Amino acid sequence: MKLEMGHIFIKDIVFSDTSKIEDGVLYVSKAELEKIVLSDEKLKEVSFDVAKPGESVRITPVKDVIEPRVKVEGEGGIFPGVIAKVGTVGSGKTYALKGMAVVTAGKIVGFQEGIIDMTGPGAEYTPFSKLNNLVMVCEPIEDIKPHQYEKAVRLAGFRVATYLGELSKSLTPDETKVYETQTIMEGKEKYPDLPRVAYVQMLQSQGLLHDTYVYGVDAKQTLSTIMNPTEVMDGAIVSGNCVSACDKNTTYHHLNNPVIHDMLEEHGKTLNFVCQILTNENVYLADKERSSDWTAKMCEMLDLDGVIVSQEGFGNPDTDLIMNCKKIEAKGVKTVIITDEYAGRDGKSQSLADADAAADAVVTGGNANQVIILPKLDKVIGTLDYVTKIAGASDETLREDGSLEVELQVITGATNETGFNKLSAR
Amino acid sequence: MDDYIIITNNPMVVEEFGTEKEIEFYDVDYENILVKVRDKIYKGHELLSHPLSGSVKPGETPYKSIMVSKRVGSLEEKYVKLIESSIQTVGKFSFKPTINDQKTLKDLQVVDRTLLNSAIASADA
Repeated sequence: MKLEMGHIFIKDIVFSDTSKIEDGVLYVSKAELEKIVLSDEKLKEVSFDVAKPGESVRITPVKDVIEPRVKVEGEGGIFPGVIAKVGTVGSGKTYALKGMAVVTAGKIVGFQEGIIDMTGPGAEYTPFSKLNNLVMVCEPIEDIKPHQYEKAVRLAGFRVATYLGELSKSLTPDETKVYETQTIMEGKEKYPDLPRVAYVQMLQSQGLLHDTYVYGVDAKQTLSTIMNPTEVMDGAIVSGNCVSACDKNTTYHHLNNPVIHDMLEEHGKTLNFVCQILTNENVYLADKERSSDWTAKMCEMLDLDGVIVSQEGFGNPDTDLIMNCKKIEAKGVKTVIITDEYAGRDGKSQSLADADAAADAVVTGGNANQVIILPKLDKVIGTLDYVTKIAGASDETLREDGSLEVELQVITGATNETGFNKLSAR
Repeated sequence: MDDYIIITNNPMVVEEFGTEKEIEFYDVDYENILVKVRDKIYKGHELLSHPLSGSVKPGETPYKSIMVSKRVGSLEEKYVKLIESSIQTVGKFSFKPTINDQKTLKDLQVVDRTLLNSAIASADA
């Protein structure tokens, strides 16, 4: 499977009467976007704002971050099964608007969303402070249930991102990258001497407000399965969860998964990237056993030499992570696991809620309990009403001088478990 | 009747399933719900749902609902290990805010019930 990714660099976002992209500037019509968002009767109001790198702006509560893309050639469309019709994606040609994102914000369940600071110490911990962000804050109709609100905001974000992506369809990309993978047998013949490696991605799937969707299917109801690594670049996996901000994979993370990009970079050089394996993180223990059994079984059937396993979240998924690791290793397949840590504010506590001797190759995304002071910023997009309620904050969070004393948990993407961040340890 | 028992401190779970499911309600904190579950496990009940389900961290939500088997068998080491390490993890979250805001408490009850629903869906399937 071959996918050509065309990158169009966006250096600024400007509100305008008509929407277009010209000389690297994205002009957006609020009226047009509003129509797209409010086509869902569950949403009554939306406001748009732009946050640029270096500005004294705090975005909170952040729900999702999305990179606009468009399918230019090939089968299917962006966000298959969600926005586009179901159809296998990952081949042909796709354009992405780089250097920008659509950020959805709103008090969905209030206490569980994150912060993106565009300047100051907090900005250092989130990759999204480096982007021009088009922020949309959606207000729901009265008496809506949290999960209905979550769904409405989730889909509105994808609709807006798709609309913006479409604006680039006739442009010439600033940069093009080509990703090519082989079928199982082709790969074996082409790279007979390279180790056969797969990427096991664990998806958050604990129930409403904690879900991830694959081609529109709730991952909770899936058996472990395989995909071509380029499929995620067309939005095959989207985020639908409100779990703690630091280690949830936003849709942006899925589209730009660094594990996949790095493995494709090494494909044919130091390893044979056989496939991506998807598995879930359910709350029911029998589901965990079944999913990890299937993952290990597939690793064996694919004759793999090694896998990289990435987790999403903390606590409950630690058990899935260790089950996957133990069972895959028991099949004679080497594992490297990527996780993050909740090692207490002093970093001295046990990092994970589960452990096993088989987990002897671990990459960390940092300690989510680490305390950080976020200075008062000039402007807030969204609301600070809930800042003491988000995971990693407390009643003492908002200090007299307006600064916030919080744990890294509150910052969107701070300890991301696909490695889309700067923190780690040696 | 189902073959599981729900151990909970979430009043919304009692409201929703009170008559149709077997529920043991305890007016205790998150950590002590885990202790109640540990007692069950030592008596030979199987642990059916993960004690740390949800990504609202212990100490940030007062509510927890966990499912154990009605059937009593022999003590299983894997469940002992899981519940003990979960209790240890809860202890690590040293700061325990007092949440008095009714809207937030309701939200937290909804999230806990939602996670339980997810386990029930699997158990009843």
